[in-house]
Amino acid sequence: MSGVDLASVLLQQNGSGNATGNATNATAGNATNATAGNATNATAGNATNATAGNATNATAAGPTSETPLPDLISGLLGLDGFGIWGDAVAALLGAFLIANVMLTMTAVAGPWAKRKITAAFTDRIAVNRIGPFGLLIIVADAVRLLSKELIVPEGADRPAWDLAPIILPFSALLGFAVIPMGSGIQLADPETGLVFAFAAASIASLGLVMAGYASNNKYSMLGGLRSIAQNLAYEIPLVVTAASVVIFTGTLRMSEIVAVQSQPLIEAGALTIPSWFAFVNPFAFVLFLVANMAEIGRNPFDIPEAPTEIVAGYQTEYSSVYFVLFYLGEFIHIFLGGALMAVLFLGGAAPPVPALGFIPGFVWFVIKIWAFFLFTQWCRSAVPRVRIDQLIEIGWKGMLELAFANLVLTAIIVGVII
Amino acid sequence: MSLEDPEKEQQGALEGRSREDELADLLGERALSRDDHKNAPAFVIRPDEVQDVLFDLRDQAGYDFLSCVTAQEYEDRYESIYHLKRYDNPMDEVSVVVPTSKQNPVSQTAEPVYKTADWHEREAYDLVGIDYEGHPDLRRILLPETWQGHPLSLDYDQDRPQIVTLREHANPLEEDQRASGTGANAHSNTVESGAVDDAADSDTMYLNIGPHHPATHGVLHLKTILDGEQVVDVEPDIGYLHRCEEQMAQQGTYRYQIIPYSDRWDYTANMPNEWAVARAIEDLADLEVPEYAQVLRTMATEFGRMLGHFLAVGTFALDVYGDFTAIFMYAIRDREKVQNILEDLTGQRMMFYYFRLGGVVWDLPEPREEWFEKVRDFLDELPSALEEYHDLISQNEILQLRTVGKGMLPKETAKQYGATGPVARASGIDMDLRRDDPYGYYDELDWDVAVEDGCDNYSRLLVRLREVEESAKIIRQCIDLLEDWPEEERTIQSNVPRTIRPDDDTETYKAVEAAKGEMGVYIRSDGTDTPARFKIRAGCFNNLHTLAPMSNGEYIPDLVAALGSLDIVLGSVDR
Repeated sequence: MSGVDLASVLLQQNGSGNATGNATNATAGNATNATAGNATNATAGNATNATAGNATNATAAGPTSETPLPDLISGLLGLDGFGIWGDAVAALLGAFLIANVMLTMTAVAGPWAKRKITAAFTDRIAVNRIGPFGLLIIVADAVRLLSKELIVPEGADRPAWDLAPIILPFSALLGFAVIPMGSGIQLADPETGLVFAFAAASIASLGLVMAGYASNNKYSMLGGLRSIAQNLAYEIPLVVTAASVVIFTGTLRMSEIVAVQSQPLIEAGALTIPSWFAFVNPFAFVLFLVANMAEIGRNPFDIPEAPTEIVAGYQTEYSSVYFVLFYLGEFIHIFLGGALMAVLFLGGAAPPVPALGFIPGFVWFVIKIWAFFLFTQWCRSAVPRVRIDQLIEIGWKGMLELAFANLVLTAIIVGVII
Repeated sequence: MSLEDPEKEQQGALEGRSREDELADLLGERALSRDDHKNAPAFVIRPDEVQDVLFDLRDQAGYDFLSCVTAQEYEDRYESIYHLKRYDNPMDEVSVVVPTSKQNPVSQTAEPVYKTADWHEREAYDLVGIDYEGHPDLRRILLPETWQGHPLSLDYDQDRPQIVTLREHANPLEEDQRASGTGANAHSNTVESGAVDDAADSDTMYLNIGPHHPATHGVLHLKTILDGEQVVDVEPDIGYLHRCEEQMAQQGTYRYQIIPYSDRWDYTANMPNEWAVARAIEDLADLEVPEYAQVLRTMATEFGRMLGHFLAVGTFALDVYGDFTAIFMYAIRDREKVQNILEDLTGQRMMFYYFRLGGVVWDLPEPREEWFEKVRDFLDELPSALEEYHDLISQNEILQLRTVGKGMLPKETAKQYGATGPVARASGIDMDLRRDDPYGYYDELDWDVAVEDGCDNYSRLLVRLREVEESAKIIRQCIDLLEDWPEEERTIQSNVPRTIRPDDDTETYKAVEAAKGEMGVYIRSDGTDTPARFKIRAGCFNNLHTLAPMSNGEYIPDLVAALGSLDIVLGSVDR
């Protein structure tokens, strides 16, 4: 948990620094932030319109307010007077809260929802014996998995082998630090939020290759190499497609990306279509969706673990707690992928029509990321896995070109027409 | 055997007479004598002229299909029998008998003539103990390499302890024990042993796929050599499920004790296996089968074929799609319907034992109308179910991308390796024993043989899906026949003696078209009520042999897909 906390503290400082009107990349300390800051200058220039996100307004916490969660907590608990230590405690509490929410969702998704969804696709019933709707299987599975023997393969490269399962889930949790989840739940809102999220998520590749290399198993090795090849091929289109959204918004700040999407796109009588980027640029949405599936390694791009080919890929040798960590990590990554989809293309935590605004934003956010989860499970049941060479080919020869075409097109539309 | 026999014998009388003379002329003095089997003429030749004779038979007489190699030990000699057929006419059979002396059981290998002899001769060496001179890789195939003795030889001591470690077993005088003993690569044909022994100098990686692996459909071990993700060489290591089926059949009486074992060979589609045994024994003992029972057999067997093909399609989808594809469950759903129908018919869900010598065990379940309705309901729903399969599998573009043009098995290679069944038919070999060597009621019914020319993984899938359609067609016609069958003529079994003792030294080899290919049985009788030699020819065994030429140079995922498309059942491979 410490990784998340530290980062959120750093980000929180960064965010408050911005709020007071300082220049963009004041605090360094964090390599990702530094590069992200440069990117901001390059693409968006000085077009940082402060539509929201005034941290000075900590007391006015409403559903639409973009107050970072730590500030809210420190306001509620009266930690304002303790200076940096107060901020640190508030950030820690906020991070703890968010991490627990995400882990709870993962716990529901992994042992229970995944089974139920797959069962629905395959004409089965799945878990229904333990607890209502079989929900207590989550507890049973947790006990079962945690009580298993932790088998360490002979010749495992020890520090790397132990670190890999820790890196995977925590890199994904780190990404959630900058995601605005609606109802004012956001740990930090730095100016470079989007790039930070991508940077944090791609640390996972390191964990996968560590696991693959350190396991002293040929299947793990193949899985690790596959995952690296895959992430290289798909991260570029992913980020480039996201950049096309940034051209529209003119900012990398998550809250502002969401805010830009709240304007109506088409108003036809009672029907209002919001200007979500999924509607503004459906092409980019589809590109991002596909690249995202590959990035998180789900069907049809689940080749790093492709069970019928290389047993379980990089996680072949992991058991017990380490396996649980890998498992959690994969699901948090799915949810992070869904969260990025929601923020970039689906209006963040906004309801699809204003009439549904009475439902809290956080609920919409959860619905959106679960919709993405459902989509991944649907693909898992229906779409064949592509072969590794085909995957690389699609990535480098197809997705990359389309992503750049989309970027140039968007730039022309934004720069020339609008 | 009642229906087709008169016709067949006539054919044999017209064609076979001249054919036999032709063959006798072709072989000339090389044929030492005749030792005719019930199914085919058999020529006895010298052990050092095997290749010579087989080359002539293949190239000049057209026998391009080595169906089976049977090895056996007599009191005074060893004998290898090569059962030859032609792909374009499987009824044109000839056997080549190669006796070798007890003291020096060495016979020339047939491997250069028919590639499929490679594995068959290894099995003969393994179980009987005949040495094949010039064989490229004469090792045990079914039993562990440390096994002591040859189980089907006459002097085999069953009480001898078999726990021998590799270290005790290895010959200390041999130069490199590792290369000759444990290292699979040392024996493989395409990769020199050095390539893997000096791993530091090579770019290849040796990978054990199996015996426990999600994609091997049972306990199969693939010794794979990879160059990156590409397969340089693959060698199936079989025998993990060897249960001495041949020996058990030799210990059972013809009447009741052999057919139940046959259900355990190819246990995903076991009805046709029963027929293979029944057909061989009925041929050996000249038993008649009433027409009504033939219709019942035909229908039951086609249901059995569906069982196998549904599972084959489902598991192939597992291999290509991923481990939680909906298609697998859809296939199991339809398979379940067939199983319910067969459960009503036979009382069993898996090991049916529906066939008896001279017929079947039970008539249709009462009330018949209800059962007919159930079958008709299934047949009516089947087209829409198959439509669903085509939507989900064969018309899926990613699947086509994955399977079209991958796992190529050219026609000539398929023939060399003795491929049969859907594997051969997907390589453009138009052979189906149901049509070409008719038995049961097949030649009275209207159906087609599914043949594809693609030679790839995709074609094998298509052939299976089309065969399900054809099976449905056959079943529908059988149902119509059974429904109108006069009540007083419903004879399900002919009058078969309680103890069957075929004449001494009668030999026959009879095969049927099982779901996976030609399922053949060779029996030699010795005048008692148990066979002296019972040899099983399983389609899966030969089809698995084609894996190496199919997958060399492909990526690992295509190796897995190719294995899935072969649809092997290890119970049938290892017996």
